[in-house]
Amino acid sequence: MRLAFPHIGNIYIPIKAIFKGSSIDVVFPPLTSQHTLSLGVKYSPEMACLPFKLTLGNLIEALELGADTVVMPGGAAPCRFGYYHKVQESILRKLGYNFYMITQDRGIMNMMKQLSNGASLWKVITALRFGLAKLKALDELEQLVHKIRAIERDKGEASRIYREWTRAIDNAADYQALNQAKREHLQKLMNLPTVSSPAPLKIGVTGEFFVVLDPFANMDLEIELGKLGVEVRRSIFARDLVSFNPFIYAFGLREKDRSHKAATPYLSRHVGGDGWQSVGEKVLHARDWDGLIHLEPFGCLPEITARNIMPSTKEWLPVLNLIYDEHTGKVGIINRLEAFLDMIQRKKRGRVAVCA
Amino acid sequence: MIKIGIPRALLYFQYYPMWKTFFEELGAEVVVSPPTTQTMLAQGSSRVVTDTCLPVKIFCGHVLSLVNECDYILIPAIRSVQKRVYNCSKFLGLPDMTRAVIPESPPILDTDIDVNKGRHRLYYAIYQVGRYFTRNPFKVKRAGQAAWQAHLNYRQLMSHQGLTPMQAIGEVSVIPEVEPKTSSDSQASAQTTIALIGHPYLLYDEHINHRLIHRLEQAHCKVLTPEMVTTEELELAIARLVGRASWTYEDEVVGAGEHYLQSGADGVIGIMTFGCGPDSLMMDMVHRQATRLGITPFMSLTLEEHTAEAGVITRLEAFLDMIQRKKRRQVAVCV
Repeated sequence: MRLAFPHIGNIYIPIKAIFKGSSIDVVFPPLTSQHTLSLGVKYSPEMACLPFKLTLGNLIEALELGADTVVMPGGAAPCRFGYYHKVQESILRKLGYNFYMITQDRGIMNMMKQLSNGASLWKVITALRFGLAKLKALDELEQLVHKIRAIERDKGEASRIYREWTRAIDNAADYQALNQAKREHLQKLMNLPTVSSPAPLKIGVTGEFFVVLDPFANMDLEIELGKLGVEVRRSIFARDLVSFNPFIYAFGLREKDRSHKAATPYLSRHVGGDGWQSVGEKVLHARDWDGLIHLEPFGCLPEITARNIMPSTKEWLPVLNLIYDEHTGKVGIINRLEAFLDMIQRKKRGRVAVCA
Repeated sequence: MIKIGIPRALLYFQYYPMWKTFFEELGAEVVVSPPTTQTMLAQGSSRVVTDTCLPVKIFCGHVLSLVNECDYILIPAIRSVQKRVYNCSKFLGLPDMTRAVIPESPPILDTDIDVNKGRHRLYYAIYQVGRYFTRNPFKVKRAGQAAWQAHLNYRQLMSHQGLTPMQAIGEVSVIPEVEPKTSSDSQASAQTTIALIGHPYLLYDEHINHRLIHRLEQAHCKVLTPEMVTTEELELAIARLVGRASWTYEDEVVGAGEHYLQSGADGVIGIMTFGCGPDSLMMDMVHRQATRLGITPFMSLTLEEHTAEAGVITRLEAFLDMIQRKKRRQVAVCV
C-alpha cells in the first residue's frame, strides 16, 4: 500500500511523521503549484470550488508518482466537501488510474482502521503523538511569525526563518530534534532587528478553512500582510482538525465555540463549513481587532450565507471579502489589501483627531 | 384571523400542501406570493451579495412581495429530512439570512427540522410553530397528522398519476378532476419523451426556466419529471450511481438522472443554476454517467438571471433535432 494525501498548507508534515512512524509507505505529491492547479482545472467540473480543483490536481500528481491508495476526507456534510470524493473518484477512474480510495464515508474509526493497515496499536499511538507534537510546533511557529512579520525591519527575514524552521520540523526524527529546532530558530527570530514605529494594525483573517490554511490558495496573503506591516490574527489553525481536550470541549472554551456563541443573535445555527464561525469572529473581535479579512473560494455555499449576514451585525468592524478562484491575480489582491489598510488607518487617525 | 405568508419559491413546490393543511387546521389563513416576475427577481437580487444563487435571490423577491400582506412568514430551516443526509447550506441559513437582508420582513416562523436529532426534537419543532396559534398540543398534533396525510396524498398524485406539482397543488385545493385527463391526452399523442431533472424550484418556476415545460409540450414531447418516479426507484438509482446519498435533494438530480438515462426517456435535460454548489457536482456525476452509458443523449442547461430566452430556445431546438434524427436513423436501420 502506498498512501497519498492531498495538500492543505503545511499539514503534510505531521501526516508524514505519523505514517513514517507507523511504517506505512506514504507518497506526497509535490507542493501545490501552478501545474497542480492547471491539472485540477482541466479535469474538474467548471463550477467546482477551488479546494476541489487543487486537491484533484494533488491526487493526479500523487498517482503519477506511483501511489495506489488515496485518502480523501469527507463524509456527510452540508458543504460540498462531503461530496468531493465521489466525483473525484469518478474523474480519476475515467483518467485510467487504478487505485483504492479511503474516505470518511463510513465513520472516522473505520477510516483509521483502513489507514493503519495492520500496524501495531502501540506503534500507531506513538507515531500519532509525535505527529501531533509536530503539528503543535507548526501552529505555534505560525502564530509567532504573524507577530514578527509586522515589526521586522528587513522585510522577508522572518519568512525566511519560518521556512527554515518548517524544514527543520519536517526533518526532525525525534522530540529532541524538534526541541533543538525550536531553540535554534526561536533565538534567530527574536534577534531580528525591528522597527520602533507605532503599534501595527491588528487584522483578523478568517473564512473558509482550506483557503485560510493553504498559502498557495490564498496567494501568501499572510506574508503580504506582513510586508504591509500588519499583525495577522487568526483563530483557524490546522490543529482544529485533530486536537481533542475534554475540558476545553466540555466548557465550550474553544475559540470555535466562543465565536459560535457570539454569532447566535445573527446566525443561530450551523450552516456547514465555517460560515457560522466567520460571522462569529466579526462579532467577537469587533473591539480588539482593527479589521477582518474574510477569505472564501468562489461559490462557497456557507460563506455566501455568512457574507449576506455579516453586514447586519450591530458590532462594527471593517470587513474585506476576498474571493479566490483559478483566475485570481496576486496584484489585484495586494491592491485591495492596500486600499483596505489605508481606509482603516485614515479612520483611526480621524478618531484620534476627534478625541484630541 | 392570522395570515401566514408562504413564498412561492424553493421548498414551496415540495411542501406547500403540507404547510397549507397544517396552518388551516390551526385556523390560520395562508397567503402565497404571486408567481415570479422580473421585478421580484430584481428586488431580490438587490438585497443579497452578487454571487448568491438565483433561486435564493428569487426567494428574497418573494419575501419582499409578502412584506405587507401577512402577519407571519414561514421560513423553516430544513437541515435534514433523512438520517445523515443534509441539505444545502443555503437552506440551513435561510431564516437568518432573510432576517439579515430583509429587516422589514414580518416576523419569521423559523424552526429547525433535523431528523438526526431524533423523533422528539422533530415533534418539538412542529409544536413550536403550532404554539403561535394554540396552546393545545393535541390540536397541533391533529394538524400535524392532517398535514402529513396531505403530503402523502400529494406525493401519491405525482408519482402514480404523473401530475406535475403545479397540477397536483391545483388539484388538492381547487379542481378535483379535470386536470389529469388533458395531460394524459397530450401524453398519449406525444412521440418523443424528454426527462427533465433538477430541483422543483427550477423545473416549475416558469420565470427561471423560460417556460421550458410548456415549450417541450408545444414541440409534442412527453415531459417526465423526477416526481413521477417513486421514491424506491430513485433510491435504487442513487445506490447504483453514487452509493449513499449525501444531499437531501440528491434524488431529484442524481436519482432521477440515473433512472431516466437507463430507462424510459429519449433524452434527458438537466437544469441547474449558475453557482449552485451541490448541483455543480451532482450534475457532473449525471453527465459522466451519460457519457459512460452512451445510450441516452444528455444536455445540461445552466440558468442565471442573464440567461436569455432565445439562447434557451436555440439549445432546446438543437437538442430535439438531434434526438429526432437519432430516432429516424434507428428506425431506418431496423427496417
